[in-house]
Amino acid sequence: MRTDSASGPALKKMFALGTAWLEKAAPDINAINVFPIPDGDTGTNMLLTMRAAMGEANQNPSRSAWSVAKSMASGALMGARGNSGVILSQCWRGLAKGLEGKKSFNGTDFAKALAEASQAAYEGLVNPVEGTILTVLRDAATAADMAARTDSASLLSIMETATEAARDSVARTPDLLPVLRESGVVDAGGQGLYVLLDGALCYLKGKAKEIKYRKPRLVVSNLPLALKTTQLTTEVEVPYGYCTNFVLEGKKLDLQKVKTKLRKKGQSLIVTGNDSLVRVHIHSFKPGEILDYAMHLGTLHQVDIRNMDDQYVEFIKMQRERMPKVNIAIVAVVSGDGLFEVFNSLGSTIIVPGGQTMNPSVRQLLQALESAPSDNIILLPNNKNIIPTASQLGSLTSKRVMVVPTRTIPQGIAALLAFNYDLSLEDNVRSMEETIATVKTVEVTKAVRKTQLNRLKIKRGQFIAILNDEELIARSNNMTDLIFEALAKAEIERAEMVTIYYGAETKAIEAEEIAQEIRNRYQTEVEVLHGAQPHYNYIISLE
Amino acid sequence: MVSIVTDSCSAITPELARKFGISVVPLYVQFGNEVYRDNVDLSTEEFYQKLEKSKITPTTSAPGPEVFAELFTGLAEETNEIVAIMFSQMLSGVYGAALQGKAMVTKDCRIEVIDSKLAISAQMLLVLSAARMARSGANLPQIVDWVRKAIPRIHIQMTFDTLEYLRKGGRIGKAQAFLGSLLKVNPVLTLKDGLVFPVARLRNRPKAIDYLVDFVRSFSRIEAIAIEDVTTPEDLEILAERLKGLVPPGDFYRSKVDPVVGVHVGPRVLAACVLEAE
Repeated sequence: MRTDSASGPALKKMFALGTAWLEKAAPDINAINVFPIPDGDTGTNMLLTMRAAMGEANQNPSRSAWSVAKSMASGALMGARGNSGVILSQCWRGLAKGLEGKKSFNGTDFAKALAEASQAAYEGLVNPVEGTILTVLRDAATAADMAARTDSASLLSIMETATEAARDSVARTPDLLPVLRESGVVDAGGQGLYVLLDGALCYLKGKAKEIKYRKPRLVVSNLPLALKTTQLTTEVEVPYGYCTNFVLEGKKLDLQKVKTKLRKKGQSLIVTGNDSLVRVHIHSFKPGEILDYAMHLGTLHQVDIRNMDDQYVEFIKMQRERMPKVNIAIVAVVSGDGLFEVFNSLGSTIIVPGGQTMNPSVRQLLQALESAPSDNIILLPNNKNIIPTASQLGSLTSKRVMVVPTRTIPQGIAALLAFNYDLSLEDNVRSMEETIATVKTVEVTKAVRKTQLNRLKIKRGQFIAILNDEELIARSNNMTDLIFEALAKAEIERAEMVTIYYGAETKAIEAEEIAQEIRNRYQTEVEVLHGAQPHYNYIISLE
Repeated sequence: MVSIVTDSCSAITPELARKFGISVVPLYVQFGNEVYRDNVDLSTEEFYQKLEKSKITPTTSAPGPEVFAELFTGLAEETNEIVAIMFSQMLSGVYGAALQGKAMVTKDCRIEVIDSKLAISAQMLLVLSAARMARSGANLPQIVDWVRKAIPRIHIQMTFDTLEYLRKGGRIGKAQAFLGSLLKVNPVLTLKDGLVFPVARLRNRPKAIDYLVDFVRSFSRIEAIAIEDVTTPEDLEILAERLKGLVPPGDFYRSKVDPVVGVHVGPRVLAACVLEAE
């Protein structure tokens, strides 16, 4: 097999393997997807886009690399899904342009094509954000270009350089994008691109058979674990409205004009394609206006409109119907079906889904405030990263909003219990604030990577316990050991009441056993509830 | 001397009633066909023993107007001024019965029927104070005036283990907001405008007792205190101990929730009540 250059069929094979490689990584890539919307579909979207690209390429019998690349670009454009898919299709458009006229291409050609791809990807976006697939692609292109100038023109060697650069770049994405840093993840789209390149590289290295039963090794960030316990702030983008996708077919289409026109109509706008075929992806509250506009320019295809508000709106509606007008409404941020029920049963008027690793946006919170059946509102953020956002809301609504700075779920519950129907908004907030100081919270979760914290070495997969959402107090491989060490450090002997909320993936029997053991060892009442919260195996409240 | 009348929901013990010369009209508790006069045929202890054994859910009823007419007529033999201080009309028909009974009285006697908007020990504090005034020679207008002005100065809080009895009896009012909690809580309720009203939720009984203590202690000037239990004399003892010294022993009353109110609040209710000084 030639490794210094590749023809059309070789190009197909390279990225067929890349696609297969991506398929294996897709679930893990979905799992780290937090930007621009933590909807967990980046891996899937990139995979579907690549499949569309390869499907088109496979129908092209040409031996010309350029011709195959063009097929891939057109397949990707028609099949692009989601943000990352559309960016990937742009990348293919650029690659095809970079390979113009080439029957086969060597490393130097590939470097040039990557540069074109990078440029095309940036151009497709209205607001390019660094720390994403864009940065990874550019870093790969830059490294390839450097290598092509100085070292060899061999495709294998350039591909190797580009892949390594992509991997390093993925690891750096959290430095560039705060949302990633706060979630303790690397960029999902960048990760996908790296895997794709890595798969193509494996083909050139003749490892196609060898990797058949292996999984791609994903890049992890080298950030300390503590950041995992904080998480994304909300200034990301407004994650609701309609996710609108379509392909516009017409004559002499002006991409720039389409882009300028649509820019004001929504968020996450991507416009890609050429003068006869344009793909549009946009999050908007008025998809009709967008389609109306596009229909004047040509014919619409693959129209796909999804309501991202559905769930939330349904929820708010249900709440509003259930609740009569009240003097003071309580809005709480909670995740987990069980905890939702607990907050609901204790009289939260509106519950905004969210919490650790999924903070609600300003808009989401505002929507909750506006739909609350009262002009006086107490807001319980229940997470320290939501407090800053929550505190800004007062100036954005005509309602009177006061935030009780609850940092944990137990603090939120204590505050809710302290609510007095007879007191004014201010007096309630004061008494709630006093109450939350009397509750201690122990949160138990699994370390996602090895790290060192508070002079404790933590291995990946170890259980760790955090006190009051700020201090790591224990780590162990054994859940029971961990919990009792943590409870001792939290001075359980001073608590009269212990409440255990066990998580979505924790077994009831394990929680009951721990509760019984606490009753045996300490003179305290213990109550066990299925919080069904994500992320934390246990949230324990000490009162 | 002005005669003071009340109903058995004031939880005035027969001893106190005798001591202050108060006429207490009993309501009724029914276990199926068996009818008992509240605190007359059936004490609170007997009621709960019976409740445990009985398969029948007891019901309650107010006496008819003729009971009051008869009582008022009898009292009018010795006095020409009667003040009746009744259980909240939002919770029972006994106030209405007394008013109708008054209309049936033909003797020349001034009768004033007052809706206390209160219940149990809170109502008791009002009744006892009125009886003291009567004994010291106050006339009907003076007593009525005092009672009406004193009602807003009486404050009560009650802690529950469960609100099920209140719910079943249809007297839960706004405390409905405290129903359905998935967490185990001890609700604290009060009376407001004659109705049950939610105040607070504590995580266990000791904290609920703390809450009652803090509630009483939050008043800087107290004229009288009353506390009462249903089936937990040991908790009443704790409460008494912790409130000791806030008022002279003569102004500190203990009582027991009567069976009729007991049907609607359930066992283990603990109440504390304050008559705030003017």
